Amino acid sequence: MSPPLLETRNLGVRFGGLQALEGIDLQVHRREIFGLLGPNGAGKTTLFNLISGLTPAGSGTVLWRGTAINGLDANRIARLGLARTFQNLRLFGSLNCRDNVMVGLHRQARLPWAAALLGTPLAQRRQRELKGRAQELLELLAIGHLAAQNAAGLSYGDRRRLEIARALANSPELLLLDEPAAGMNPGEKDQLRDLIRRLRDQFDLTILIIEHHVPLMLGLCDRLAVLNFGRRIALGAPDQVRQDPAVIEAYLGGSR
Amino acid sequence: MADLTQLLLNGLSIGAVYALFALGYTLVFSVLGVINFAHGAVFTLGAYFTYLLIGGAVGANGLLAGLQLPLALPFWLALPLAGLAAAAVALVIERIAFRPLRDQGADPLLALITSLGAGVVLVNLIQLLVGAESYAIPTTALAGLPPAIRLLGAQVRTVQLLLLLVAAALLAVLSHWIDGSRSGKALRAVAEDPTTAQLLGIPSGRMIQIAFGLSGFLAGIAGGLVGLSVSIAGPYFGIGYGLKGLGVLVLGGLGSVPGAVLGGLIIGIAEACVPAELSGYRDVVAYGFLFVVLLVRPQGLLGRVLPTKV
Amino acid sequence: MVDATLLTQMVIGALLGLSVYLPLRCGQLSLATPGFYAIGGTLAALLSTRVNALGGSEPSYPISSLLLEMALAGALCGVLASGIGAVVLRLRGVYLAIATIALVEILRVTMLNQEALGGAVGIFGIPQPFDDPADYALFTLGLLAVICWLCDRLERNRLGRAMAAIRDDELAAACQGIDTERSKLVAFVLSAVVAGLTGVISAHFLNSWNARLGNFDASITTLAFVVFGGSRTWAGPVLGGLVLTALPELLRPIGDLRLIVFGLVILVGPLLLPQGLINPALIGWVTQRRR
Repeated sequence: MSPPLLETRNLGVRFGGLQALEGIDLQVHRREIFGLLGPNGAGKTTLFNLISGLTPAGSGTVLWRGTAINGLDANRIARLGLARTFQNLRLFGSLNCRDNVMVGLHRQARLPWAAALLGTPLAQRRQRELKGRAQELLELLAIGHLAAQNAAGLSYGDRRRLEIARALANSPELLLLDEPAAGMNPGEKDQLRDLIRRLRDQFDLTILIIEHHVPLMLGLCDRLAVLNFGRRIALGAPDQVRQDPAVIEAYLGGSR
Repeated sequence: MADLTQLLLNGLSIGAVYALFALGYTLVFSVLGVINFAHGAVFTLGAYFTYLLIGGAVGANGLLAGLQLPLALPFWLALPLAGLAAAAVALVIERIAFRPLRDQGADPLLALITSLGAGVVLVNLIQLLVGAESYAIPTTALAGLPPAIRLLGAQVRTVQLLLLLVAAALLAVLSHWIDGSRSGKALRAVAEDPTTAQLLGIPSGRMIQIAFGLSGFLAGIAGGLVGLSVSIAGPYFGIGYGLKGLGVLVLGGLGSVPGAVLGGLIIGIAEACVPAELSGYRDVVAYGFLFVVLLVRPQGLLGRVLPTKV
Repeated sequence: MVDATLLTQMVIGALLGLSVYLPLRCGQLSLATPGFYAIGGTLAALLSTRVNALGGSEPSYPISSLLLEMALAGALCGVLASGIGAVVLRLRGVYLAIATIALVEILRVTMLNQEALGGAVGIFGIPQPFDDPADYALFTLGLLAVICWLCDRLERNRLGRAMAAIRDDELAAACQGIDTERSKLVAFVLSAVVAGLTGVISAHFLNSWNARLGNFDASITTLAFVVFGGSRTWAGPVLGGLVLTALPELLRPIGDLRLIVFGLVILVGPLLLPQGLINPALIGWVTQRRR
């Protein structure tokens, strides 16, 4: 059997006196939609930061297609094919929406520097192509009409969509979504669920998603892992996880 | 032995001035997270205030040519008064160069730029008013103390000893106040987390003003002390101290009070150790320290490493 | 009115403004420009006064030698900036600013104390490639045009977008696959090269050179150009450099208050116009009008 696309083995990290993550074992297979659940502070975003290279791991390894990638710079990891969105939204506030997505197209935008400098017909054509691609992605996320608008002035929901468009521009194999449904009403959450499935099919993606809203996750994900206090307390298909007593206790009370 | 005493004393006294200076930087950096580039100008102002209060006369070049206050205060009165005047100016600077940016929620780096501007305006205003010549503070300011004392086999200038004692006293009092008193604790709270402090009922605006006022007071006295012990070489003489003070700040650790003291003493003594042939390079000692520390251990000797939240 | 000499000074100001602007575009406040300016100027001063072979047979200094000096200064500054940048650009925000201030000061003191580099007295009698001030103005304008064109090309391309992204959010930029270290270094090196080239022509224009020309005051002045003019696009620092250099000359009566004016500009600028004169709102308005 081919190795999982992404794997973590015994992954852990400390911040000062706090063991934020410990002994995390996960495997994400190609074309899976894999969900990460858990109460606030469980370590989900920290896990994303370890995977994408923004925080160095204290122990354990992260493997991409069987090769260890922890210790690599975030931009190297991104170029391997991982893209992500952020819980607190990190858009480029001084740029408009189209330029935000064009930054995401950075890898595709490479040109011989002489051509770029002189603005040769080749360079101009490439520039037009990139703009077109950016517009396509914006329209896919239903914000095509906002292309020339400054990113900072958008509504919360539109900004979330822009982040996803930008992440897709990276042409990733693995997409890490950090709470994409935050602040959405039930109707929007349903739309998001359908969108994520469409994206997986259309772009042949693997998706790793953090969310709070349990019903959304149960309805969307192929498999789920549940974190609590930095440890994995459950792993499996949605039905399995939903009935797991440890999960129920973590969410509904018990000791804290 | 006499040479060593002299060297040590030189180093310690200049180091004490640097420490006082850096302490002012640290106070503001603690509560605002920015460096007040007008600090050197306030230091300069303190020197000139001291000169005027001791009864010095302004030379013939500026707009206030010939000005001489009808006072001849002894140093122990002139210094604190000059400190208070400097503190007042520091408060004005806070009001003009820092607070509007905070209210606008602007990038904190802009405060670096506005404070730089305030400092430049201040220093050039001094030049406009009193001209660019140097002034030496007359020894009458010592109010009867002998100009030199024998200490451990060396002839020690009284002013240097004075400088050391005053600086040490101020540093001790300040450290005690910050660690012990309620306002001191409030100041530290605002430094840690201004929003939470505000929620806890600590008026962070007031605390910031206190930090500025204190830093101005320290700068003013430091300026007066340097004016007493060396001379006032012109309105730009504070800029060198301002820049070197950055070196002390970084060496000791931004935001650390004992760090400022330690950094000041280390750089002071290191400068004193520069042999006479290379005296032109004495200024570079502080900058060299600064550069190396920033690369090797940016949090300095005693500063805290601030983790970045992702 | 503006004569050729003043125009040359204004253009030199604009060039230095561009030099400060380039790293700022990546969100890096580097105050190293006066240092590289001093290196360029000193190199030109030394070469033209000590190396007779460059002098040629004409009474005026040959243009080819001038261009050679510029090439050498550009290369020297570029190499130095690559080395220094690799080390210093790891620092962020105020730490970077302080480190560059320290570097400029160390350089200044070293030049002041080394006779070979001019020492306290400086270097005099630098040969003139042009006799007519108007020729100086034309040459520097040409240089400015080239650099502006380069900056414009940069802004429209992938690297310019990457730099803007880094300025807005360095971490997010890295997550897009942008090599942030490299982009910041390129900006820093370009900034150094522009400053070095400006130093060369400046040394000839001023006829003499000394260590005081690359000091902390110059850092403040050039920063004021960018703060005043705006740091979003190359037009900002150019405007700032031109206007703020001309101002004290045009307002002769307050000429002595030059530095107070600068101080006020830097003090009040960020408060009134946080993004300078040529700010996003203005740019947006202009681009709308052009459609």
